Amino acid sequence: MAIVETKELTKVYGRGDAAVTALRNVDLRVEPGEFVAVMGPSGCGKSTLLHLVGGLDRPTSGRVALNGEDLSELGDDALTRLRRREIGFVFQFYNLIPVLSAAENVALPLVLDGVSPRKARSQAQMWLERVGLSDRSDHRPDELSGGQQQRVAIARALAGEPALILADEPTGNLDSRAGDEIAALLRRVVDEWKRTVLMVTHDPRIAAYADRIIFLKDGTVVDEAHLSGGDDGAEKLVRQRMEGL
Amino acid sequence: MSYYIRLALRYLWGRRLRTALTTLAIAFGTMLIFGMNGLVPAVEAAYRQQLMQAASQVDLTITGETRGAFPETALEVVRGTPGVAYATGSLARPVVLSPADAPVLPDGSRLGTVVLSGIDPETAPQVRRFEVVSGRLLQPGDGDVLVISESLARRTGLGPGDRLRLPSATGAATFEIVGVIAGEPGAVSDDVYAPLAAAQALLNQPGRINTIEALAAPGSDVQEVRQAALARLGSGYKLGESQVGSEMQAAVKMGEVAFNLFGVLTLAMAGFIIFNTFRTVVVERRRDIGMLRAIGASRRTVIGLILTESLLQGVIGTAVGLCGGYLLALGMGAIVAPLWSQALRLSLGGPVFKPVTYVLAIGLGIGVTVVAGLWPAISAGRVPPLEALRPAVGEVSWKPAGRRAAFGVALVVVALLGLASGNLNLASLGAVLFLVGLVLVGPVLVRPIAGVFGRLLELVFAQEGRIAEGNLARQPGRAAITASAMTIGLAILVALGGMMTSIESGLFRYIDRSLGADYLLMPHSMVLGGGNVGAGPELAEAIRNVPGIAGVTTVRLAMGRIGDTDVQTIGIDPESYPRIAGLEFSAGDPEEAFAALAEGRALIANGIFSAQKGLQVGQELTLQTPEGPKTYKVVGIGMDFLNAKLATVYISQENLARDLHETSDVLLMADQAADADPTEVRAQLERIVAQYPAFSLLSGEELRVEYKQMFGMAMRLLQLLMVALAVPSLIALMNTLGINVLERTREIGVLRAVGSTRRQVQRMIVGESLLLSALGTAFGLLGGLWLGYVLVGALNETGFKMPYYFPYGGLMLAVAVGLVFGVIAGLVPARRAARMDLLAALRYE
Repeated sequence: MAIVETKELTKVYGRGDAAVTALRNVDLRVEPGEFVAVMGPSGCGKSTLLHLVGGLDRPTSGRVALNGEDLSELGDDALTRLRRREIGFVFQFYNLIPVLSAAENVALPLVLDGVSPRKARSQAQMWLERVGLSDRSDHRPDELSGGQQQRVAIARALAGEPALILADEPTGNLDSRAGDEIAALLRRVVDEWKRTVLMVTHDPRIAAYADRIIFLKDGTVVDEAHLSGGDDGAEKLVRQRMEGL
Repeated sequence: MSYYIRLALRYLWGRRLRTALTTLAIAFGTMLIFGMNGLVPAVEAAYRQQLMQAASQVDLTITGETRGAFPETALEVVRGTPGVAYATGSLARPVVLSPADAPVLPDGSRLGTVVLSGIDPETAPQVRRFEVVSGRLLQPGDGDVLVISESLARRTGLGPGDRLRLPSATGAATFEIVGVIAGEPGAVSDDVYAPLAAAQALLNQPGRINTIEALAAPGSDVQEVRQAALARLGSGYKLGESQVGSEMQAAVKMGEVAFNLFGVLTLAMAGFIIFNTFRTVVVERRRDIGMLRAIGASRRTVIGLILTESLLQGVIGTAVGLCGGYLLALGMGAIVAPLWSQALRLSLGGPVFKPVTYVLAIGLGIGVTVVAGLWPAISAGRVPPLEALRPAVGEVSWKPAGRRAAFGVALVVVALLGLASGNLNLASLGAVLFLVGLVLVGPVLVRPIAGVFGRLLELVFAQEGRIAEGNLARQPGRAAITASAMTIGLAILVALGGMMTSIESGLFRYIDRSLGADYLLMPHSMVLGGGNVGAGPELAEAIRNVPGIAGVTTVRLAMGRIGDTDVQTIGIDPESYPRIAGLEFSAGDPEEAFAALAEGRALIANGIFSAQKGLQVGQELTLQTPEGPKTYKVVGIGMDFLNAKLATVYISQENLARDLHETSDVLLMADQAADADPTEVRAQLERIVAQYPAFSLLSGEELRVEYKQMFGMAMRLLQLLMVALAVPSLIALMNTLGINVLERTREIGVLRAVGSTRRQVQRMIVGESLLLSALGTAFGLLGGLWLGYVLVGALNETGFKMPYYFPYGGLMLAVAVGLVFGVIAGLVPARRAARMDLLAALRYE
């Protein structure tokens, strides 16, 4: 069974003459253990797709299923629970709570899920270690570099042991070296920790880390590419396809 | 510690200054409520000390219905009642000591009042137990001797062999202390016991007592005996102890209500501040909140987080407020105590905090905070998780103003009806509704008012002024809510200013009218019935005989009862009183009224009493007297200064002597002849007064100066409170401007990018702040004038007649405070806006 499956997914913003169709009849399948990148020019609807898959927004028509469960049938509380347990989010601007330490930020989803503070803390420590920040666990976000903050954010996304990680331009705010580190970390998330990653990016070099790339244009899927993962050839291929859009 | 509390604490700590200022607002309100309510019981306790001791171990206590004295013959009636074994009569009253004769207390002040009980040395010990600590008890045949209570002995160091000089109807009498007795456990009253005859002579009450105490024979039914005794005595008597001085408690209650109102208004202000602050918090943290929602925090969790923060602030603010309130009560006590012992001859104890005071202060302090945080918390719960992915700070949206404005107009109309109803409670409620209504109507009024002030502002800051005006007009709801915090602060400022001006001017009119004589022989307590010992007719006669004195008039006092109300019954001479003093009339013709007093049983009621009873001129009232019920006709409504706060009726001295058996003068007033030498007259008067230590001689002029000083002190204290009250509105203003800057980060970035200087951006924000405060000031003046008018109107309704004086001073102060605050509140956000990193600001979306 696909972990993510969308059927004729359509999202329209506004009404009447002002209506803008962000997504039009998108059919998408993501299998467990896949690393999928969504690419496309600005305004192609890639972020909208991510929001709909993450249950942050509701489609105008069509449906999204996560592990076979139709999101449109879930109420606000059930959606909240689903986001808490099944999905980990990584944002472009990291979105860490500024007054909490790195470890406390990572422990947040566990605390929200009712895990005891002690257990949440040790779990958080373990994930910080895995992302290479065990020595920074007591630092507050403003004491960390952008790349470090994003690694904390990834640890937070993983802390609740979700099957699916949704990353929205995770390297959009980083320089190329830090960007590469984050992309490589996401690769490890799939290879080592056996999660599924769905990532939105506009950077071909970052997209080249994925197994598969979905190209969106004007709200519809126009192309798809399968990669062997992480080599220079892949990046070149992605660039060519992007130029073709 | 819970994760959420830790998170809330971290957030609060992260914005230390704002947290401190907001918490301060709560602390301030709690402090006022707690402190004042702690002081009031102390004040009441001071009065209660004057109350006669209830004889707990006696079976039967009988007093006059009017709480006045009655003939000793009643004692025989009680003794003759079947089932009564022993009975004794006593005459007890508080006696205000002359400062020169009063013993010195450990704190250096002088004892103000003692409760003098004239007891029968033979029969009293049969009924009450007196335990001798030192010396001896009173004995039959004793003359001017005293036995004093142990607590008084301890406090003053007096003991057997010492002497105590008490004021008397004929001047003063010196008593020798012969013994000290143990008081009731826990009692701190300053009791002195004299032989009944000596007390009767001292108080000018020959053959009269005011309390009968009795023990029932063993085996008899105490209830039955009580009823039987009462039935035999006939009307005019009641069971239970007599309570001298309780009439003042009404005045104390009035003060309590006023201070509570002040405290509640302050807390309402604090509520506004909290509301404002948390709105800021929610706007600032929209992305944090969105992220929490995205990673799986439920709405309830988010609401809980914000409420935890407000709860923490409430708890901290209330705790600080309780400490502050305690200090306030101590401080106020320290200020008021000397004033009191001077003016009222009462000694004030330390503050007393009852459990209900704690409940009230804590409940209100925390309650207001949590309630104020509720709405922002709920709106935080509505922040969609998408906010986390959308870096732009969302605009705070407001419901269309139409419905709220309509509701506001309705409130204002209801408020006006409340005032028109003439009912005090409805009028007060109306004043509050008026302010709330004004706040709701606010958003509709923002545009035109911002337009007017904007034009003024453009004269100073040509370009920035127009942008500032536009910014306000764009979000009239938010502008109105900020301005409203200011409005409430200033409205209170102006209203209190108006009320104080009116009270001050009103009181001075009373003073001029009723104490306008050239010379006054004042008792030591300003409350005439507060234990002053009156003088016999010899004193008035002596003054009348002083060469150069053109006229003398005197005031006598007894307690009467009309319906269920105890009234001070003041005896005046209808012929000389209006000539030398006078009353301020609000109904009835003064000349006819005084003439009517002379003719038969007629009375003039004072404002407070007539307001309580809804009296009309021409109405007939039944006055309970020791001689039984007597019918008096109301011939006028008028009042004097000293008795303005207490239910009082004025009758002729002739009627007072006949119906209430009171003939001593507690206040004497004299005018001097136009050609007399003031120095000579004064010297003569001084000589006479020296023999009457219960009185002090004052010129009308001196008195006015004395009262001016007293009021000045009270006014300064109130002014201080008023200014302090305005401070929270400054915080509110800063907060809203803070949100403004935050919400317009990008706009400010653009302004800077297209060439606005830092200075111009700064001016724009300060301009906005000035506009907001001008708005708040305009509303505040409007609301304050109204509120002040209502307050004075309400005072008039209670019978405290006074014209409304326009508070020019308060108005000017309010405008100055408003504008200065406008600039101060704008400076911080203006600096923040001007220092904003241009690139970061532009990237902010």
